[in-house]
Amino acid sequence: MNNTASDSHKKEEIIIRRAKPKDSPQIFQLLLDLAVFLKSGKDVVLTPEEFHDDLFCEPPKCQCVVATTAQESDTIIGYSLFYPVYSAWKGFSLYMEDLFVKPEHRRKGVGKLLWQKVTQIGLDMGCKGLRLTVENWNKTAKDMYTHHGCVDLTEALDEHPMYLNKAGMEKLVQEV
Amino acid sequence: MALSSSVEEKIIIRKAEDGDCEEIVRLIEELAEFEKMKDQVKITADILRKDCFGERPLCSCIVASKETDRSSLVGYCLYYPVYSTWEGASLYLEDVYVTPSHRLRGIGRLLWQNVAQAGLDMGCSRLNLAVLGWNKNAKDWYERLGCVDLTDKEDWHLMRLDRKGMESSVHKDKELI
Repeated sequence: MNNTASDSHKKEEIIIRRAKPKDSPQIFQLLLDLAVFLKSGKDVVLTPEEFHDDLFCEPPKCQCVVATTAQESDTIIGYSLFYPVYSAWKGFSLYMEDLFVKPEHRRKGVGKLLWQKVTQIGLDMGCKGLRLTVENWNKTAKDMYTHHGCVDLTEALDEHPMYLNKAGMEKLVQEV
Repeated sequence: MALSSSVEEKIIIRKAEDGDCEEIVRLIEELAEFEKMKDQVKITADILRKDCFGERPLCSCIVASKETDRSSLVGYCLYYPVYSTWEGASLYLEDVYVTPSHRLRGIGRLLWQNVAQAGLDMGCSRLNLAVLGWNKNAKDWYERLGCVDLTDKEDWHLMRLDRKGMESSVHKDKELI
């Protein structure tokens, strides 16, 4: 589960590898940067310590690959977080929760490399598909996913993601 | 938990067992038919059995069955743990379905309550799901429970790539970002 594999792309000098425990503070900062970009910075209640434990407990609650440069292999310039999910129609699938590249490292192919690494991991695990959610105004991200063959299920099938928060769950279970 | 639906028939909510897989797949196909996508169902009872009742279960299942005939199912729900980088451990409700002949008896609500309780017991911060926008009955019901529609509220879109697309994607050379 935590095997480390690295792909060195000498032309771009970008390395994509599995996250290590010492990476978690940097990944957490990028996670916050992504939340701010998505206008949800105040919604992050997860703490760095919880995030670290969730990523590296056994079994981990989520998995992560990171991007670094070959020259500075301990400086994280991008990450992608993902975990297994299940489709009642297709079976075992993978969900990509986050994909983020620092602004100063964009347009170098880092996002594509992270995407392809996660996709390859999914294929190796025997996944039948890959799912994700994107904010419709995030055109750059949406274009990349569409370019790689993703179908927008909300446009195609009118499928809407929904959620019930913890207070709602507690209220529901107390109803007679 | 027994839910009395009539003098003749009581329905119970219980954890699924591997012997239920044929019935669960029957109901999965029934739900897919209602959603006008039955041709997309590739799962079989054997696959479900391996995935849900094997050494490392990929999802959990709760069913509604007749008390006098446990092998006869009238509803089911499938769920599994997911992760939110904002809130931590969460639960995803993949399917919840009650066959039409047994609706309006509170079975759907009991299935939901069992999943919500499972999520709370696991320390989950939220319960995620997806609904087809045209399925107004389901959407209204979920919203009455307190669910938020992220497409309506924040224009979130779900996307999917099938396995063939994944295989093609890993070999793409053209850079976009």
